[in-house]
Amino acid sequence: MTDRTESRDLMRRLFEAESLETMALAPKIAVYAALGAWTLVVLFPLYWVLVTSFKVEVQVDGGPFYIPFVDFTPTLEAWNFMMLQNNTIGPYLNSVVVSLSSTLLSLLIGSLAAYALVRIRFQVKFAAILTFIGLLIAVIVAVAALGVPWPAATAAAIALFLLALGTFVRRFKAAVGNNDIEFWMISTRIMPPIVAVLPIYVMFQHLGLLDTRLALISTYTGVNLPIVVWLTRDFFAGIPLDLEESAEIDGASKFRVFFTIALPLVRSGLAATFLLVLILTWNEFLLALFLSNANAQTMPVLVAAQNTTRGPQWWYMSVLIVVMIAPVVVIAAFLQKHIARGLLIGAVKG
Amino acid sequence: MRVTMRKIHKSFGPVEVVKGLDLVVEDGEFLVLLGASGSGKTTALRMIAGLESVTAGQVLIGDRDVTNVLPKYRDVAMVFQSYALYPHMTVFANIAYPLTVRKLPRAEIDAGVKDVARQVQLDTLLDRYPRQLSGGQRQRVALARAMIRRPSAFLMDEPLSNLDAKLRGYMRAELKHMQHRLGITTIYVTHDQIEAMTLAHRVALLEKGVLQQLDTPAEIYNAPANLFVAGFIGSPPMNFLEGALVDGKFSAPAGNFGTLSRASRAAVVAGVRPEDCRVTEPSSGKIVGKVYAIELMGDHTLVTCRVGEETITVKADKSFARPDGEAIGVDFAEGAVHLFDKSVGDRIR
Repeated sequence: MTDRTESRDLMRRLFEAESLETMALAPKIAVYAALGAWTLVVLFPLYWVLVTSFKVEVQVDGGPFYIPFVDFTPTLEAWNFMMLQNNTIGPYLNSVVVSLSSTLLSLLIGSLAAYALVRIRFQVKFAAILTFIGLLIAVIVAVAALGVPWPAATAAAIALFLLALGTFVRRFKAAVGNNDIEFWMISTRIMPPIVAVLPIYVMFQHLGLLDTRLALISTYTGVNLPIVVWLTRDFFAGIPLDLEESAEIDGASKFRVFFTIALPLVRSGLAATFLLVLILTWNEFLLALFLSNANAQTMPVLVAAQNTTRGPQWWYMSVLIVVMIAPVVVIAAFLQKHIARGLLIGAVKG
Repeated sequence: MRVTMRKIHKSFGPVEVVKGLDLVVEDGEFLVLLGASGSGKTTALRMIAGLESVTAGQVLIGDRDVTNVLPKYRDVAMVFQSYALYPHMTVFANIAYPLTVRKLPRAEIDAGVKDVARQVQLDTLLDRYPRQLSGGQRQRVALARAMIRRPSAFLMDEPLSNLDAKLRGYMRAELKHMQHRLGITTIYVTHDQIEAMTLAHRVALLEKGVLQQLDTPAEIYNAPANLFVAGFIGSPPMNFLEGALVDGKFSAPAGNFGTLSRASRAAVVAGVRPEDCRVTEPSSGKIVGKVYAIELMGDHTLVTCRVGEETITVKADKSFARPDGEAIGVDFAEGAVHLFDKSVGDRIR
């Protein structure tokens, strides 16, 4: 008995965190020192970028200079060039438009899909999926190799598919459920994006949409959908079913239940998801590099473009990085209070 | 409006939870669906609401067949056990929700909410959120939200079971008063027989998805249709003795006594409620037993005595005191004896 309490006390002394308020002075100083040191490590690169943006070539190449006005004389030359002479505002606007619209779109579509996956039980027959894929291949072959006009081929395929659904597909038992659909969605993220870049490029080339914001928005929306579905489905699953049933009886349609009950209840989760997806699209480089050129160029591509034949232009890059980081920091600070909030307290029971 | 269930069946996979329920709830009636958990009472209610599909049979509200109609077109209001208040809306918005989704004019919604809020004494709390309310207040918000629409029927799923005992008694009276005043057909699900007895015009007692008896609370108590009903209603439960019946004379190892029946059966169960029994001297009792346990309940004493292999509970005076093991007589009127067929369980007249 005593042995056990003693050993528990020892374990507690060794491993359980003590509150900073109740700590003795010496360990308190040690803890703050460690935290302070780590803060410096984290903040230093940001500081380095900031001061570099106020340097010129000599001050960068001539050895490390840390403190403005002491080590070196800061100038606005790089800022001047990037903001006034170089076309920075175009890519910046592209980045803003593309990330905001694709994030909002994928949030809207993804949360609808997640909600459906949580609340509706799907039983898609395996045979139906195989029939669909088979007919898709047949249409491609007919159009590409045999020269059948595509509207006719598509119409015929749809008719055949509906016929198959009504007849032989019914005889098969094997079906995919909600879990399979969810896994299929997330599995599209297992593949490295570089694999899909070329087909996507060719597709937009044929559509004549290369180097447009539309191409980037639709690609990013598709790419980020699985993440949104995967994240938001757990939020929706946490809503008590009673609330939604009650709303339905009160006269709301499924869509109304989604928009007036389900969505507001998961808003903290949505805020977190919004932030994550926004950061992903804001910083996306590979797809933007392939799909954009002059007109739809985004900030990450512009930053990379500062690595020129004359070597990396660190001072220009730093300016761009500072203006890229700023809005994300602001949004994150703004959303902070929405993330982590026990909204469901008081929903059910007394 | 009248609510009709015609030969309703409900299966979840291979499990049949409601088996051919036939029930007509008259316009303005307060009907209680009573049963233990798993009896199918909540499933039956959810089928009326449209939250559960009907495997076979028909649901009618008024003269309209709503079997395959979406909940929102059924014009019923439901109060959930959890209250199901929308946590992100104020009390006002919660109560107004059924009107808001119907896109009623602003002024009409305002007036409607104020009116029902006054009726349930919530008019000072309209700006609060559900999390800032007590259990009783949340319950009243749920009621107000159901009332505001003047629906064809109220559906209530154990609405009082999350309240403490005192508040439950108070809200029971409030509910009954409200239902009488509004005159709206109410179907009320509960496992609590006190709620059933006090609230209902008629009680429908369900067990394993089958309707056992549909009658007024008094009839259910005074003339239970079968052994299950007899054992379910009443606290403490009815005493049962197994024996034989010859020309209305009951005979068993525990004792022999006359009944009001004239029937003869080889295997019967005789039931007597504890409150119909009284303790007498061993010589004058219909049954003689030995005191097994004495429990003082405050205003009365429950005396359990052993009669052979069986036990009988008697509701006795609060001053009753006898040592354990002492022989006592148990007496009751002939009219207080309920007779049931042992194999089928049905009441014998």
